[in-house]
Amino acid sequence: MKLATTRWVGSLSMLAALGMPGIAFAEYPEQPITYTIPFDPGGESDVTARFQEPHLEEILGVDVNVNHRPGGGGAVGWSEFQNNAEPTGYEMIGVNIPHIIAQPIMRENAGYETDNWKIVTFFHTTPNALIVPKDSPFESLDDLVQYAKENPQAVTLGGSGTFSANHLGALRLEREADIDVTYIPFTGTGPLPAAVQGGHVSGIFNYSMLGVQMQDNARVLAVASEERVPALPDVPTFKELGYDIVGGAYRGVAVPKDTPDEIVNKLEEAFAQTNQRIAEKQEPLGFVMTDITDEEVDKIIQQLKSAYQPILEEAKANQ
Amino acid sequence: MTLRLNTDLASGLFGLLFAALLWFPREGMGRLSIIFPRAILVITVVISLALIIKAFTKPAAREVHIEGSMRRLAVMVVVLFAWWYAIGLLGFLLATVIVFFGLVWYLARIEGPVPARRLAQWVPIVAVLIGVFYLAFTQVLNVRLPSGIWS
Amino acid sequence: MDMLLEALLSILTLEGLVTILAGVTAGLFIGALPGLTATMALAVLLPFTFTMSPLQGLMALGAVYMGAIYGGAFTAILINTPGTPSSIATTFDGYPMARQGRAYEALAAATIASVVGGIVGVTFLLLLAPPLARMAVVFGPAEMFWVAMLGLTLVASLSSGSLLKGLLGGCIGMLLSTIGVSPIGGETRFIFGMPALQGGIELIVALIGLFVIPELISMAAQGRGALPESGKLQGGAGSAVMRMGKHVFSKPINLIRSCIIGQIIAIIPGAGGNVTSLVAYNEARRFSKDPASFGKGNVDGVIASESSNNVMVAGSMVPLLTLGIPGAPPDAIILGVLLMHGLRPGLDLFTQTGVLTNGFILSMGFAALFLLPVGLMGGRLIHRIVVKTPFYFLLPSIAMVTILGTYALRNSMVDVFIMLLLGTVGYFLRLIGIQAAPIVLGMILGVIAEKGYVQTMLAAVVDPIPWLRLVSNPLSIVLACLVVLSVATTLLPGWLERSGRMAKVDRDEEQSP
Repeated sequence: MKLATTRWVGSLSMLAALGMPGIAFAEYPEQPITYTIPFDPGGESDVTARFQEPHLEEILGVDVNVNHRPGGGGAVGWSEFQNNAEPTGYEMIGVNIPHIIAQPIMRENAGYETDNWKIVTFFHTTPNALIVPKDSPFESLDDLVQYAKENPQAVTLGGSGTFSANHLGALRLEREADIDVTYIPFTGTGPLPAAVQGGHVSGIFNYSMLGVQMQDNARVLAVASEERVPALPDVPTFKELGYDIVGGAYRGVAVPKDTPDEIVNKLEEAFAQTNQRIAEKQEPLGFVMTDITDEEVDKIIQQLKSAYQPILEEAKANQ
Repeated sequence: MTLRLNTDLASGLFGLLFAALLWFPREGMGRLSIIFPRAILVITVVISLALIIKAFTKPAAREVHIEGSMRRLAVMVVVLFAWWYAIGLLGFLLATVIVFFGLVWYLARIEGPVPARRLAQWVPIVAVLIGVFYLAFTQVLNVRLPSGIWS
Repeated sequence: MDMLLEALLSILTLEGLVTILAGVTAGLFIGALPGLTATMALAVLLPFTFTMSPLQGLMALGAVYMGAIYGGAFTAILINTPGTPSSIATTFDGYPMARQGRAYEALAAATIASVVGGIVGVTFLLLLAPPLARMAVVFGPAEMFWVAMLGLTLVASLSSGSLLKGLLGGCIGMLLSTIGVSPIGGETRFIFGMPALQGGIELIVALIGLFVIPELISMAAQGRGALPESGKLQGGAGSAVMRMGKHVFSKPINLIRSCIIGQIIAIIPGAGGNVTSLVAYNEARRFSKDPASFGKGNVDGVIASESSNNVMVAGSMVPLLTLGIPGAPPDAIILGVLLMHGLRPGLDLFTQTGVLTNGFILSMGFAALFLLPVGLMGGRLIHRIVVKTPFYFLLPSIAMVTILGTYALRNSMVDVFIMLLLGTVGYFLRLIGIQAAPIVLGMILGVIAEKGYVQTMLAAVVDPIPWLRLVSNPLSIVLACLVVLSVATTLLPGWLERSGRMAKVDRDEEQSP
């Protein structure tokens, strides 16, 4: 009922917009923009949105309200957005890869589709990093791989969530190095430092940020980026070590599918400018700033989809 | 009001019903997902059966006492759900104004008839009450409340 | 020591004190609204601190945190609704006190206990952070499983009346907590084809539903407010505060015990304030000379709950500041702020940037002190409003605030529906003897138990007998023994009493409210 009404109103406003494009778009934006984060406050997505908020407001000249719609690892917020949001440019939502690729594959009814919106930009990535405790016997990635070859399943790698970027990273390491490790999902990044420092797992697959944060208490064996992460200059990439593993989480924003191009371009620009301004603060934390837009977005999604699909389907069959 | 009801039997049956509700959709779930809920489901069934056995051997209280009017109880429950439905339909502000005012009138009538003049006097009070919370949530806390068909 | 002095001087400015006062007040009001948690209070007020210096920003957030955790006690006492999950245990005795017309006494006791708790937490943090932090990392999945089991033994004392019904409530709670995405398997469970249910049932949604809605329904049925209007204070507010102060400090054992429990649990990552206050309450009851009076308005229950949860505020900073491990959900936001200002958790935080860190810690102590005037005055105001408002205005207002608060938690009308549904069902369950407290306890601990158990089993995949991992190290064995001990000390007296005059005891139990 509610859905039908919003659709109806939505198409009505679309009609109005088509009727007088000059007036409707010339002054975008002119009212507050809602920026939904489909995760709990305090996570990486939320912290980034808080960083961006004041700059976006300055650049766009209107209020940007960050609000949260957490649940189901983002799926609740995304499904609601795809069903209800109007293509006026006043509603946008944070999107994350691999979540938006993995959930629709893994769940019977995630409530949304990977492609059913217009992704404005992916503004940064956080590459996976393999972190072990300071007193771990594994001095290098080779040590770990060696040990895992001799003792299948004995190496336990913690990470944030199931079928997450971390989990996919661990699965790719298994394939690339031809080893069998046990991945242990934790809920979010919060419990991972304790798991490493307490030696509850042999190591963790998490993001570069945690590697930076835990420099004093742990050892980062490798990062899964193309080039070394600026904040961790001494840590080799998996590629340097001979494993073709590049991956992690991409964070960006999306607007509803039919949002006019002018609006999308304006937002793209605003996010690009914001990125330049906050890079100084975010890069030392281990974020890798990006500006992936338009066709590049589709390219990345297609590329990762074909990389992850077989891994995911195999994992699903094994469960 | 006092109802004759064997509370042990009622609890046991409720436990079984609840377990059954979750027992059937459990098919097709992976081992890691089902291991914990399955254990709890089994325990729930055991406890429920124990309660049912107890209901026949040494039952606890056999009556349930509800203080006050059953009709008002039912009306209150209906009003709460109607309020929820109205918010989705009319938006928070309009739905709340209508339901709030109606509820104040309904409850005030318990103490005696409410003349129209008193009702009119309440209008500003209700407006202030709703207004303060509405503004606090939308302006200070930045919560976007449902706007129903007015969006 | 110089550093501490310097830190003290840097917060003892007019600007500093005003910041703390404003933070405490804002936190208090947000915390007092059901549905708005301490985490949310911090998230909402975070942008305001961007314009401040790092120290001032941290001071403001510390104060908000302290105020919000305390603010939960207001609604817990006055309308039986824990404003934040950490004041669940405050409702058990606080609300009965209010119904006896002793609401302001309960508020005063809660305030004094919170102030003491807050200061004790700060002291622990200042003096014992490094050794205590080492404790944080010893709790692995197996230990967490046993912690959850230990918590579940609380069911026995929370189920006034039949133990079987209490256990059933606990199971129902644990099952409710499994709805949504499985924490380890990653699949959706029990969502009945509805994508909106992927988010599961949020604890606070269930909390509000199960505690507040039954109260509203029975108020409507009875046609009068739950609190006596003649809530006249014996000899005025001042004397109530003095009396409570005397009571709290003349028998300090309860306070000391609760503070220590609060500190220990605060360090365990993932347990958080909601568990602390429940455990402290249970122990206060276990060691009391008159355990039967708990749940009927014994002020010691309020003191135990509120002192322990305010210890948690500074207490959970121990693993956060030293190791970067958030001990409770709101700490994750504080961690974000630290990182934003380029501060990395670790011992450097206490040496290189010691003035800032110590200033932050000390400011939480001041925030705790400010709770006294702010809380007593604010408490008086809110108390008067709740008691004086005619019930036909009060009831719709409470209903409106619960709807708003539930919605605001996740911007979800589905959550509001779940809240109303659980509340209505909860009302009828309460009639047949299944109380809300064990259900909520099951929801809190079910998640911890499941993660602990499944993670342990996963890690033990190469072992010949996997479940032995659950008792493979000293700490988990100790915890397992504690579980057995706790069950024994709770059940034995009952059994001994029952043998011989079973029927009579049974009937007596059921008659107690």
